[in-house]
Amino acid sequence: MPSKTEPSLQQQLAELDAVLAWFDRPDIDLDEALQKFDQGVKLAESAKAKLQRLENKISVLKQRFDQQV
Amino acid sequence: MDRTILQVSDLLALVNQTLEYAYPSVIVEGEVASFQLSRGKFIFFDLKDDTGAVGCFMMAFSLRQPLEDGMRVQIVAQPRLTTRGKFSLTVREVSPVGVGSIKRAFELLKAKLDKEGLFDPSRKRILPRIPKRVGLIASIESAGYADFIKILNHRWGGVAVDVANVQVQGVGAAQQMQNALDFFNQQAEPPEVLVLARGGGSADDLSVFNDEQLVRAIAGSRVPTLVGVGHEVDISLADLAADVRAATPSNAAQILVPDRHAFLAELAQRERRLSERMEGRVSEITRLVNTVASRMASRLDYVLNDRIKLVTQAELLLKQFDPKVVLQRGYSLVRDQKGNLVKDAAKITPGEMLTITTARAIIRAGVIDAKQN
Repeated sequence: MPSKTEPSLQQQLAELDAVLAWFDRPDIDLDEALQKFDQGVKLAESAKAKLQRLENKISVLKQRFDQQV
Repeated sequence: MDRTILQVSDLLALVNQTLEYAYPSVIVEGEVASFQLSRGKFIFFDLKDDTGAVGCFMMAFSLRQPLEDGMRVQIVAQPRLTTRGKFSLTVREVSPVGVGSIKRAFELLKAKLDKEGLFDPSRKRILPRIPKRVGLIASIESAGYADFIKILNHRWGGVAVDVANVQVQGVGAAQQMQNALDFFNQQAEPPEVLVLARGGGSADDLSVFNDEQLVRAIAGSRVPTLVGVGHEVDISLADLAADVRAATPSNAAQILVPDRHAFLAELAQRERRLSERMEGRVSEITRLVNTVASRMASRLDYVLNDRIKLVTQAELLLKQFDPKVVLQRGYSLVRDQKGNLVKDAAKITPGEMLTITTARAIIRAGVIDAKQN
């Protein structure tokens, strides 16, 4: 399970979308564009790595349900 | 023979004790007759077959599926004598048996709950796209559970699944599932989705998913519910009450989480778009620089040409004033002995020697006379 400080995949996807939207603005600065591009690539790479690394955590509860809780 | 004399109630108590000892619980199958609901709390009916009949009593809240005369049912009960010495079965659980009865109970309950609005599309909530924590209600020994987990792990990672291991068929199953629903709903931090999963089975096996209290618990769950029970063709009331219905447990896993391969493709597509935009920007700027450079070059060309034209004109003008050119036209230059050009009569005297220069000759000549022109 990802820690609280680590952004979720959805957050990363949203950030990536924000970067893409930034490129739609007129009159963008080339230096800034390069920075944004780097940021976007890093986001995508980190999301990809995370996606391949993550595993589900299945835990069977000790709680019994044959009596009313 | 024992001569102990019993009071009537003692006898009843003794028989009941014996019955309880011998038959703590019996499962009996038969047809319902003379069904009667008393004061909304007590239910009386007869359970009969071709040759026999027995009176049954149960509390209305224990009834989990509708009953009516002619329905074939299985009951879990305890035999006992009433205070009036009448033999009766105290029913703990009753469930319809056989396709006809199950269908009838299903239709009756469906109509009732539908009227209450339990299956209204407007009640349905949307599941989170990627849940972080899920409550799974299933039997860990079932094929449905194995299918669900397999597909879940194949498709996605990072989900915490808390499994409530319950019975999913037979006596007590509906109550266990309802307890599990309550358990998750009462957690301080409940899961984001509750999944109820069970593989295929006979109509009898699946009939617990038409249990009134279980269906109500699903409809009343504050956590959104996803129900995947049986095969594609099986529709239970639990399905209808759920926020989202899955055809099977595998299908439930497919609905619950996205496919990581699809997500990767989505990421790759965004990366491609990012590159395209960056390249677009670079080529736009390159084009801009090129345009400015070529404008500057053409301006420079213009200025240079202008200057060259001016110089050429000056050269032509200068040529016109060249004395040699003037001499060519037949004019002469006259100088005195000091080499000064003679322009004024007062400056020369008769007898003085002068030098005359023409285009092709230099002539020495003496002055005879000179007067002002």
